[in-house]
Amino acid sequence: MVAKDGQKISAVLSNGNVPALGAVVGGIGGGSGAIPVTSSGNFRAGLRQWWPYYAMMAPGLLFFFIWHYVPIWEAKMAFEQVRIIPPNIWVGLKNFQQLFSSPIFYSVLANTLIISGMKILLVFPVPIIVALLLNEIRNGKLRGVIQSAIYLPHFLSWVVIAGVFIALLSPTDGAVNQIQQSMGFGTTNYLTNTGTIRWVLVISEIWRSAGWDSLLYLAAIFAIDPQLYEAAEMDGANRWQKIRHVTIPGIVPTIATLFILNMGMFLSADLNQIINFQNDVNASTIDILDTYVYRLGLSTGEYALATAAGLFKAVIGMVLVVTSHLVSKRLTGKGVW
Amino acid sequence: MTLKKLLLATTAMAVLGSAVVPAMAQTTIRLVSKDLLTTNPDDVKEIEEIEAALKAQGHDIDIQTVDLPGGTSAYVDALGVMLLSGDIPDIIYFQGGDQKMAEQGILEDLNPWIEKSEHIKAALWPHNVERLANYPYLLYIYPPRAPQPVMRKDWLDQLGLQPPKTVEEYEALFQAIHDADLDGDGTKGNTLGLTGFGNTNELDSIFNQAFGVTGTWMKTADGAWVNSRVTDAEKAKIEFYARLAEKGLFDKEYVTNTFDVKEDKFYTGKAGVVFGSSPEVIDIYSGKMRQAHPGENIELTLLPIPSGLGGQGLAALDVSKESRGWAISSISEHKDEAFAVLDFMASKEGQDIDRMGFEGVHHTTDASGAVTFTDQISTWYARFFNAANWEPPVPLLSATGQAALDTIKANFVADNAFVWPAEYAAEVDAAEQVYRSWVAKFITGEASLDQWDQFVSEYNAAGGQRMAEYAATVLGQ
Repeated sequence: MVAKDGQKISAVLSNGNVPALGAVVGGIGGGSGAIPVTSSGNFRAGLRQWWPYYAMMAPGLLFFFIWHYVPIWEAKMAFEQVRIIPPNIWVGLKNFQQLFSSPIFYSVLANTLIISGMKILLVFPVPIIVALLLNEIRNGKLRGVIQSAIYLPHFLSWVVIAGVFIALLSPTDGAVNQIQQSMGFGTTNYLTNTGTIRWVLVISEIWRSAGWDSLLYLAAIFAIDPQLYEAAEMDGANRWQKIRHVTIPGIVPTIATLFILNMGMFLSADLNQIINFQNDVNASTIDILDTYVYRLGLSTGEYALATAAGLFKAVIGMVLVVTSHLVSKRLTGKGVW
Repeated sequence: MTLKKLLLATTAMAVLGSAVVPAMAQTTIRLVSKDLLTTNPDDVKEIEEIEAALKAQGHDIDIQTVDLPGGTSAYVDALGVMLLSGDIPDIIYFQGGDQKMAEQGILEDLNPWIEKSEHIKAALWPHNVERLANYPYLLYIYPPRAPQPVMRKDWLDQLGLQPPKTVEEYEALFQAIHDADLDGDGTKGNTLGLTGFGNTNELDSIFNQAFGVTGTWMKTADGAWVNSRVTDAEKAKIEFYARLAEKGLFDKEYVTNTFDVKEDKFYTGKAGVVFGSSPEVIDIYSGKMRQAHPGENIELTLLPIPSGLGGQGLAALDVSKESRGWAISSISEHKDEAFAVLDFMASKEGQDIDRMGFEGVHHTTDASGAVTFTDQISTWYARFFNAANWEPPVPLLSATGQAALDTIKANFVADNAFVWPAEYAAEVDAAEQVYRSWVAKFITGEASLDQWDQFVSEYNAAGGQRMAEYAATVLGQ
């Protein structure tokens, strides 16, 4: 790194990273010839040095502080009886007791765990496979067309997607059942069959998100040093061996990070999707925590109950994130922090 | 005039003026409603006409509407958050979520106001009176919503059948529709007798009484209160629905149908009979049917309420409370003005504005005072009330729609349902989920009626038992 500010900035930009405050200040001057800076002067010097970056970062930080950190304090609502005319009344664990004592709470929790588990097991790997396959397409135009086509469903709302699936799976005039009939099988109403509805959720989720979610993995694949592939080729590796020994190890950190972050959302099995696919027959099979809380809490103004359920989900999510982080650290050496 | 005199005169006029101004001052009230937005020119114009009419009556009120997201669930969510944040308008339209607000005392008891009202008291429908007696915080002056069945009159004529008067005749009608090729596609047996959407509420509207489901709570032979959901009468009714579905007469896909899919099946001839949720909706169906078949001048005919072993009539109407309607904030500083607005909307002048739209746009009035509705009236809808004592200068409803309204008026029976305390919310929700799930499974064939006892025990375990115990304390002997 050189002494002039402008050159320092361009050096940082060429790396694509903005150094952390302490690291930047500690490294002024660069290498062994760095200008020594006392720790007490670190913050001020750093701020003076890198203020344009911090100015750019400020709106984002402010947004997160207001919308993600301030509301944490309001989670105390889970332990209160909410009064529109303050103050709220402290009721301890009453809201949690009401939540857990519901006759259907445990079946709702079981549904949530099953659907989320199915999605983690069956939906999570699909974008990785899609990214690997897309990377193997050598014709750039063809890859572009396929990418655009599989990204599109991400921009459709669940209302539209549910409409498409209801039409496709209709037992009277749906394409799927007509194909089944032409092959000599009977018809199945997939949306009112308690044995099939969860699979409909999984498949529709894959259809909607696999293309879009593959973007991150594709970006990670493109970031792999091409020299590794050249080296593998010189060693006589075929395509499959290059995928197995270069590409997949190269994207393991991305996979691990996204897996851990997904675990944090484990108890959120997608309210919008469920609401649009739910009907009287399948309600007991796909009634999840979010639909239950929406029905019992939000639509009736029982905000404390809804907050208690949200807090319960957040605690479970936090435990799962920490656990999967530790497991990932041990197995792959990578985690989210 | 000296400068001193001029100053004195000016000061005196200013003092006098300031003394007079409060008497003439305009009061600003805030109103929030799903159907009144500043982004809709018709809404804005209606509010302006209301303000002008009120001013002419001596109420100088500036009505400021609060915009919230459209769509029922988005509105309910946004309204709840707005009220919770302490932003409480003077007049609030609720479509759910009101009970929590009433429990906390922020909604005004409307009964004393209605008692001394100039117009509202006379504008109420009988069920409004009962609901206000049980829950005095919401006002929704509309006829009861009681779905009734309609079909194409030309189809009924082609079948050579009289309108069905019994449950058996209904089944025969559905069978005849199914077996004939009324839609002219060259294939017999591909038309549903009846379709619906979501659940069986529409069908229950005319079949409950026929099968003896007389109300939410019924007495067993030994005098105990039991929820009608688990009675033999209910079982017989579900058996009837399941038989219709099994024979292809009732649409098995009703659970996945949305309201527009149901309508589409009706207009395209895939189903012969549908239920219209209100007289106005039945008229909309007529208009859409004619649009779908231009040049055929199709008329819809209202089918009668069938009699059965259990009796005859429309389903008993829940009068425990209004499920939606207008409320006044109990902490409003302008309750008089807020109530004046609602009272005006129940008056003849208010109803003329709210029901007939704008002069020159939705209707015209000639020199003799005769009113003619324009085609634009089909795009107009009342934002406030449908007063029981208001008569349009010329009929607003078609003959079929009017017949539906007359049926509703003649068949009002109050139900014995009551408002549940908040601590029963989980049980009520769980039991209802169990009921709806089993009923749909019975009808679609995923479960057999032989499993009825299993359903009953599951229902009771989910909260039905505790609900019945509480009901006994409310309903007494």
